[in-house]
Amino acid sequence: MTGISKRFGAVQALDSVDLHVKAGAIHALVGENGAGKTTLMKILYGALHPDSGQLSVKGSSTEFRSSAQAIAAGVGMVSQHYGIIPELSCLQNLMLGAEDGPIIRSEEARQRAEELARSMGFRFDWNADASLLSPAAAQKLEILKLLWRKAEIMILDEPTAMLSPADGDALFHSLRKLTEDGATVILVTHRLPEVFDHCSQVTVLRGGKRVAEKAVFETSKNELAELIVGKALESNEVRNPELGSTRLQITRLQVFNDRGAEALKSINLEVKSGEIVGIAGVDGSGQRELVQSLVGTRPISQGTITFDDLPISSESPAMRIAAGLRLIPEDRHEDGVIEEWSLEENAALGLQRLFPFSKKGKIDIRRRAEEAAKIAQRFSTKHGGLAQPMSSLSGGNQQRFVAARALDIEPKLIVAFQPARGLDLAATAEVYRGIRDACSAGACALVVSFDLDELLENCDRVVAMNRGEVFEPPPNKELDRDAIGRLMVGAQ
Amino acid sequence: MEAFQGLIKGSLGSPAAIAGTLRETTPLLIAGIAVFFALRAGLFNIGVEGQLTVGACACAFVVLKIPGPFGIVLGTIAGMVAGGLWAMPAGLIKAYRGGHEVITTIMLNNVAGLFTLALVSGPMKDPTQEGTTTANIAESSHLPAVYDQNSLTISLALVFGLVGAIYLAGWFKRTVAGYEVRAVGANPTAAAVAGISAKNVIVRAMTTSGMIAGFAGAMQVLAFEHRFYGGFSPGYGFDALGVALLAGQSAFGLIPSSLLFGILAKGGTAIQIYGVPKGITTVILGVLIVVAAAIRYRKAKAVES
Repeated sequence: MTGISKRFGAVQALDSVDLHVKAGAIHALVGENGAGKTTLMKILYGALHPDSGQLSVKGSSTEFRSSAQAIAAGVGMVSQHYGIIPELSCLQNLMLGAEDGPIIRSEEARQRAEELARSMGFRFDWNADASLLSPAAAQKLEILKLLWRKAEIMILDEPTAMLSPADGDALFHSLRKLTEDGATVILVTHRLPEVFDHCSQVTVLRGGKRVAEKAVFETSKNELAELIVGKALESNEVRNPELGSTRLQITRLQVFNDRGAEALKSINLEVKSGEIVGIAGVDGSGQRELVQSLVGTRPISQGTITFDDLPISSESPAMRIAAGLRLIPEDRHEDGVIEEWSLEENAALGLQRLFPFSKKGKIDIRRRAEEAAKIAQRFSTKHGGLAQPMSSLSGGNQQRFVAARALDIEPKLIVAFQPARGLDLAATAEVYRGIRDACSAGACALVVSFDLDELLENCDRVVAMNRGEVFEPPPNKELDRDAIGRLMVGAQ
Repeated sequence: MEAFQGLIKGSLGSPAAIAGTLRETTPLLIAGIAVFFALRAGLFNIGVEGQLTVGACACAFVVLKIPGPFGIVLGTIAGMVAGGLWAMPAGLIKAYRGGHEVITTIMLNNVAGLFTLALVSGPMKDPTQEGTTTANIAESSHLPAVYDQNSLTISLALVFGLVGAIYLAGWFKRTVAGYEVRAVGANPTAAAVAGISAKNVIVRAMTTSGMIAGFAGAMQVLAFEHRFYGGFSPGYGFDALGVALLAGQSAFGLIPSSLLFGILAKGGTAIQIYGVPKGITTVILGVLIVVAAAIRYRKAKAVES
């Protein structure tokens, strides 16, 4: 790709960007939110047309008018949001849109699918519903879908976001196998360790421009991080050396999920004053139910949660907020904001009964406006005025706002579910620094993330959840990547 | 065009016409407030018609026994309690069993109509009269007018309605309780995370809405009808749905919106002498509501994109 430019309205998304990917390479594409990675990839697989620039695949200049043409030329993409239809079987999903002719010959198709899977070292029950697939298996099926379509250039957008380290490693193992067989992989990622462990070339985009294209062995993590952000990142290395007394104590907590299955199996966990405890684990290990029972939106069947000797598990959600519990919710659209309300009104959501937002049941409109301005400023939320509706903000900016709101008024217990969701490196660091500052002032925090590296970098200790149980790493290995990674998948 | 002039003349052309329009406006405004209140909490209270009817019936029952200013106060309270109790089951069913409030309130409407009809056919019936009606309430039990000259009468009930709408607009904006009601209406899951008990809000909002509807019924008895009879409401509760939908996001909007309905109701009767069927005003209202909804939908879309 040479000199690719693309403009959306007033925004120059891509400004004459070059990208040269060698055959048989795993090529990383990195950059902040809005750097233009996704736009560039969409142009490569034909979903967008560049305003100018040249595209050549396998030496011949081409132009894709649709993604169907791109796939015919051997370019395919596995997106962040899986394109798997849960109601169909695995085999049907595999073939969807690429059936050979109007009549489906299941037996032949199954044989070919089996061969493909075996060549990659995958195993699938082809007749099973795709809804039964784990995130990792769904990812593998997506890759097989591309192979089924005979793709030679594969684009993967944040493929390991939902995977455990072990599944992630397995994925890269199979990707490497593919490249040995002549395929080419372009990896869009936020995670620098992946770049260094698995890629040979790396391209950095910033603000729609290509700022570097290097061989991985020629660069370092720090250099890459600087290239991505444009300035040296302040390190969040300050950890709290002195921890206070236990503030949050979870004892033998048992909780059932919506389908009536046991989601938390009698778990124990404590968090000390000033401590940030990270909860690592594959999605669906019980993190969601843990957070809900902490907040009080899910009933618990056994056990207790005490905070500062107050048994909050028998208090209403409102009382828990009054006691200092603050949440950065997983799904900000559903749980964190009211989209049609103004930023000002959203600033009070969850804090509406607390001073200075209200006093004796009356809202203080002036003070609320002041707090809203403070919240928007804290993590530099970009907005067009505090009276504008929340829906006018991009996802990343909503996340900045919601995170800042949780830290606004004397948080004592911060519960954060993927607090960096949709945030770039700089904003992620800022949010964690905010949590750290609150904890230095005496609060404590429980952070759930699917990104183990993010937790290791920012928490005082990390525990792993697997199938509804909490596993604590052995002493002195509280931040040991391998030890925690093993616990996440249930290996001791 | 002639019909349109007739409509305006018939509703606003003379002091008597204006008085008639305001009389139509009053129950529409108060019942509109009732619908609006529930609507903010995300509840579609179709039952205002029934709540208004039982409220009127309860008020008439009390006032017939206790005349005078004390009776007025007591009758109003009785009307509100009756309306509130009539709406509460729908709120409870919605909050704890997930039964849809539209279904339950519609059914309660039928029960309210037939139950009160039975009352005025039997125990509450005025034996001196042919029809299904109570006796007239005493002169001393009439709600006083705030202005009454040159055949232009403005009832105190209208003032209550206006004050109520204005108060409510402020209440939703400036109190934590109002904020929480709106939060439940806009996004129940986010409200739950914000420490708001949706169940609580739903039951209370539905009951309050019923109380306001009962108040509207009591005002009808005390200010205008001076008695209760079978088929008491000509559909105020249903027109109030239109009033609330047309009012938009703020309770202030209820005032012009109920006035518009009042004008069309009064003028609609007047234009019949031009050979224009009264139903045409309903058509106009229908078009207005659809247009208002379309404009709001477009706005919502514009914000999204």
